[in-house]
Amino acid sequence: MIYEIANIILDSWPFFSFLRLINYLTFRAIVAALTAAVFMFLFSRRFILYMHRRGFQDQQRETGLSTHDKSGTPTMGGLLIVGAVVFSMLLWGNWRNPFLLLPMIAMLWHALMGFWDDYTKILKKSGNRGLSEKTKLALQSLFSAGFAWIMVGPLSPVGPEMAVRLYVPFVKIPVATLHPLIYAVFIFLFVIFVSNAVNITDGLDGLAITPSLFVMGVLGVFAYVQGNTIYSAYLFYPYLKGAGELIVFGAAFIGAGLGFLWYNAYPAQIFMGDTGSLAIGGTVAVVSVLLKQEFLFPILGGLFVAEALSSQIQDKIGVRWLGRRLFYRAPLHHNLQHRGIAETKVVIRLWIISGLLALVALATLKIR
Amino acid sequence: MISWLVSVGLFLAAVAAAGWWCARAWRRDLEGPRRVVLTGGGTGGHVNPALAIAEAIKNREPNTRFLYVGVAGKAEAVIVKRAGLPLRFVSSRGLPGLRPSPALLRFLLTWAWGIVQSVAILVRFRPHWIIATGGYVSAPIVTAGVVLRALGIAPVKIFLHEQNSVPGQMNLFLGRYAQRVLLTFPQTLAYFPKNGVVVGYPVRRSILEIPKDEARQRLPFAIPEGRKVVFVFGGSQGARTINRAVVEALSVLAEHRERLFLIHGMGLAASEDYHAVQDTEALLKARYGDEVLASFQDFYYRQDYFHNIAEIYAVSDLVVCRSGAGSLNELARLGKPCLLIPKANLPGDHQVMNARAMKQARAAEVLFEDTVVEDGALRDRIDGVQLAEKILELLADDDKRTEMAQKCRQFFRKQATTRILSELYEDRSVDNGWTAHTLESLPPLLTNTRLLRRLQKAYDADPHHYDPERMAGIAEDLAYYRYRAAALLVHPAWSARNLGVKLIGLTRYQEKAPTLIHMLLDRTPASRVERLFGGDYHQVGFIRRNAVAALMVMNRMDASVEEALMAAMDDPYYEVRAQACRAVSHFGRHLAGKERWLKVLLKKLEDRCFEVTVEAARALGEIGTDGRALEALLNLGEAFHWQVRNAALLGVRRLMERQVIWPCEELLRRLSRFILNAPDFRPHFVIRENFNAVMRLCRRSGAASPEAGSPEAEAVAGKRS
Repeated sequence: MIYEIANIILDSWPFFSFLRLINYLTFRAIVAALTAAVFMFLFSRRFILYMHRRGFQDQQRETGLSTHDKSGTPTMGGLLIVGAVVFSMLLWGNWRNPFLLLPMIAMLWHALMGFWDDYTKILKKSGNRGLSEKTKLALQSLFSAGFAWIMVGPLSPVGPEMAVRLYVPFVKIPVATLHPLIYAVFIFLFVIFVSNAVNITDGLDGLAITPSLFVMGVLGVFAYVQGNTIYSAYLFYPYLKGAGELIVFGAAFIGAGLGFLWYNAYPAQIFMGDTGSLAIGGTVAVVSVLLKQEFLFPILGGLFVAEALSSQIQDKIGVRWLGRRLFYRAPLHHNLQHRGIAETKVVIRLWIISGLLALVALATLKIR
Repeated sequence: MISWLVSVGLFLAAVAAAGWWCARAWRRDLEGPRRVVLTGGGTGGHVNPALAIAEAIKNREPNTRFLYVGVAGKAEAVIVKRAGLPLRFVSSRGLPGLRPSPALLRFLLTWAWGIVQSVAILVRFRPHWIIATGGYVSAPIVTAGVVLRALGIAPVKIFLHEQNSVPGQMNLFLGRYAQRVLLTFPQTLAYFPKNGVVVGYPVRRSILEIPKDEARQRLPFAIPEGRKVVFVFGGSQGARTINRAVVEALSVLAEHRERLFLIHGMGLAASEDYHAVQDTEALLKARYGDEVLASFQDFYYRQDYFHNIAEIYAVSDLVVCRSGAGSLNELARLGKPCLLIPKANLPGDHQVMNARAMKQARAAEVLFEDTVVEDGALRDRIDGVQLAEKILELLADDDKRTEMAQKCRQFFRKQATTRILSELYEDRSVDNGWTAHTLESLPPLLTNTRLLRRLQKAYDADPHHYDPERMAGIAEDLAYYRYRAAALLVHPAWSARNLGVKLIGLTRYQEKAPTLIHMLLDRTPASRVERLFGGDYHQVGFIRRNAVAALMVMNRMDASVEEALMAAMDDPYYEVRAQACRAVSHFGRHLAGKERWLKVLLKKLEDRCFEVTVEAARALGEIGTDGRALEALLNLGEAFHWQVRNAALLGVRRLMERQVIWPCEELLRRLSRFILNAPDFRPHFVIRENFNAVMRLCRRSGAASPEAGSPEAEAVAGKRS
C-alpha cells in the first residue's frame, strides 16, 4: 500500500524525493521485517490469552516420550505469523508483482488447511485424529496442481520457457528442459513433500521456525540476485524480472518468525500448530520453485528433508513392512532425544546444522 | 435431447404400468390357495429347517403350493430334490467382507443379477410368504421381496429364521425389513429388538425319546453293566480333529476302562482329502497295534455312522460333539449333557458362539480347538490327553451332569414348529413372548485390539497383581480369547502374529510358551528383498522382542525359557537383546548366582547399542552376587551415554539393597568419579506440580469427581500433565 501511495506521490510531486527510498528493495525488506516483528510483539500476548480462553489447546499425540508436559499450550500460532506477514506486505509490498501473489496464496491456502486440521484435532480432543491423511493429501494436491499449472502456463511469472528449465546448484547452465507436464508433476510432488517435511519437523519448541528463517533468508538473497540484471549476469543466474520482491516477502517472514520465536522458545507459550508448519512449508516450496532453485532445497532445507525421510523410512519400511526399527526413533529430533540429549540442546544443535547448511547454500552462489 | 427425455419417460411409464398390473394380480391371487417361497441353503443347516417348516405348513394346509429357491450346485440341490419340492435357481455368492476389493465388486454384481432373477420368479409365482433360513443363498430373493414390497407391488410377508446365536450377515442386514425374525437362541433377541421372536429350531424327523434300558437291548453291541457311556462323534461326516483326539485319548481312558464305555462315530467322509474311517483305523493301528486294539473292545466301540442314533443318544451319559445349531437342538430335546468342540474358523465363528451361549447358561462344557502348523500347513487340533481328562472329569461329577442336562433341556424352546406356524398365520395360538427369561445378555466379546488395550492397561497399572483370570468381563471368556490368540500365532501376516504373541502373554496362556520360544529362536530368513532393506528373519524383530516380553508377563521361568533367553542375548536385533536383559532383571531371583549369566551380562555391557548396555547394567544389579558385578558397573562411570552411567548407578544401588555389597571408602571414591554432567534433564514446572497437588487434595478430601462438562472437569482434563 505504502508502495503504491509513495509512487503516486513521487510521480505527481517530485518534492517528496526522499520517498525514492521506497523503491529500494533492501529498504522495503528491512522495514517489512521490522513491521512484522512489531506486529508479533503487539498482538502475541492477546492472541495467546484468547486462544487459551477459547480452549484451543494442544492435544498431545500419544508418543512414547511421556515426560513432555506440553498439554495445555495454546496452538495455532501460525495464524499470528500469517497475520504478521500479510499485514506487513499490505503495507510494504508491491501487489502487482506476481512473485508476491503466488507465495501469499500458497501461505494462505496452507494456513487455512492447517487451521482446519488443528480445529478438528481440538474438537475431537485427540492429537491423532485431525484431518485424515487422505483429506490433507487431497487439499495439498489441489493447490499443488493449480500452482503447477500456473507455472508452466502462459501466466507464469518466470515465463513458460524458463519455467521448464531445470537448474541444479553448482552448475551454471540448465541441466535439462523438461516437458511441461513432467515438470508440473515434479512441482506437484515437491510442494507436497516440502509442506509435509516442515510439518514433521515441527515437533520441538522452536525447531521448525528457525531453520525456516534461514531458508527464507537465503532464498531472499537468491531472489535479490536473480531479480537484479547486473548481479544475475555476474553470478550466471537466470534473470527473473520482478523476483526481487521475494526478498521483501522473505524479510517480512523473518521478522514474523523472530517475533514468534520470542514466545515459542522452550518452554513454549504458543505453538504454531499445523496452521503454521503447513503454511511455512507451502511458502518455502513455492518460493523455491519460483526462483528455479528446487534442487537447492536438499542442501538448504536439509534438515527438513532429513526429518521427513527418516520419518517415512522408519514408518513405511521399518515398522510396517520389515517389523523392526531401522533408527532408534523417528523423526530425527526424536532420535536425538532418545539418545539422551535434552530438548533444548537438540533444538539448538539442529539450528546449528541448519545454519551451516544455509551457509553452504549461500556458497553455491559463487561456487559454480 | 427432447427425444431422449421422451423415451425415458415412456420407459418409466411402461415399468409403472407393469408394476400396477402386477400388484393387482398379486392382490387377486392372495385370495387363492396359499403359495410359499422357501429359500436358504449352502449347507444342510439351512435347508433342513426350511423343509421342516414346509412340512408343518403342509400338514396344516394341504393344498399349499411351494417353491424352493436356491443356488445351483449347493446342498439344497440334493436335499430338496429328495424332498420333492419344486426347485429354481438364482445366482448368489458369499459376502467376501466389506473392504473394497475386486471380490466385493463381483459379489455386488452377482447379487444384483440374482435380484433381477428373483424379481422375475416372484412376479411369476406371486407368493403370500417368503420364508428364508439364511445363508447367502437367500439374499437375492429376500432383497427382491423387500424391494417389491416397498414399491407397493407385492403384498408379500417376509419371515427370516436365524439358527445361530450370532446372526449371519444377511439376517443382520435385512432383518429390519422382515415382518418377523424367528430366532433359536434367546441371546439373539438383542440384535432384533423390534421384530425378533424366539421360537427355537424346527426339526424334520422326530427323535423319539427311548427309555434307556430298551435302547440298550436294541444295540448291536454289548455294554457291560455299571459303565458310564460316552458318545463321541463329529457329525454325520465326522471330524478329523475329534477322531484324532479320540485316538490319542484312548491311552489315558484305558486306565479307567472299568468305569466307562466309549462309543465313537467316525463319520462318513470319504474324499481324497480325508477318509474318516481309513484315517482313524490307520492311526489306531499305528499307535496301539492289533493286540492292544483287540483288548480295547471291552470299553471302546467304533462305527462309521449310526443309523439308529436315537438309541445311542438314549444310552449315553455324556455326548461329545460339534456345536452346530441342528445337533445342539437335537441334544437339547433329549436333555443330554454335552461337551462341545466347536469347529474353529467358520464365518462369524458361529459354532464357537453357540457353544459360548450354551456354556454361559451352564448347559454344556466347551473345549476349543487349537491351531497349529503341521508339515507346513495349518491344522486345527485337539489334544487327546486334554480331551480324555475333561471326559473323565465330567463323568465323575454326577451333579454337574444333571445340572447340565436340566439347563440344556430348558435352553431351547420347545415346539418350534408350532410357534413358527403361530407367527406365520398370526393366530396367536402360542404365546411367543420371552418375558420370563432370566438369562442376562452375554457381555460382548472384545475384538483382539480392544482386548489387548484393556489387558495392557491393567498390566501397566499394577504388574504384580495382574491376573486375567480375575478380571471382570474378561475371565468368563478367557478360554475363547486364548483360542483366538493361538489362531493368530500362525497367521501369514506378521502384524497378526505379533498381536497374537502379545495376547498369549497377557492372557497367560502358559501352554503356548513353547510356541513362543520357538518363534523367538526361529531363524528362518526373511525374503531377499526384505533382507536388502534391513529385515532379518521371518519372525520379525518386533515379534521376537514381544515374545520375550510375553514370557515376562506370563512369569514363566524354566529350563527351556532360560535357554531361550540365553540365545536371545545374541539376537541380531538390538531391541530383542535389550528385552532379554530386561527379562533377566525380571527373573533375577531365579538367575542370581549363576555363573554363565554373569558372564553373558558382562559381555553385553560392551554391546554396540547403548539401550542393551543400559538394560544389562540394571540386570547386573539384580543378579550380581560378588565384586565382579560391582567392578563392571563402576567401570561404567565414564561411559559416553548418561543413560548408561545412570543405569550403572541404579545397578550399584540394587546391589546395595540386596546386601551383596556394603558402602565403604573405596566405593564412595569410585562413585564420586562418575561423570554426572549430562545433556538431558527432566523439567520441573513448579506451577504444574502445585496444581496437581491441589487437585489431589480436592479428590481425596471427599469432593466427588467433578461432573463432566463443569468448569472443574475441563480444568482437570485440560491441565493434567
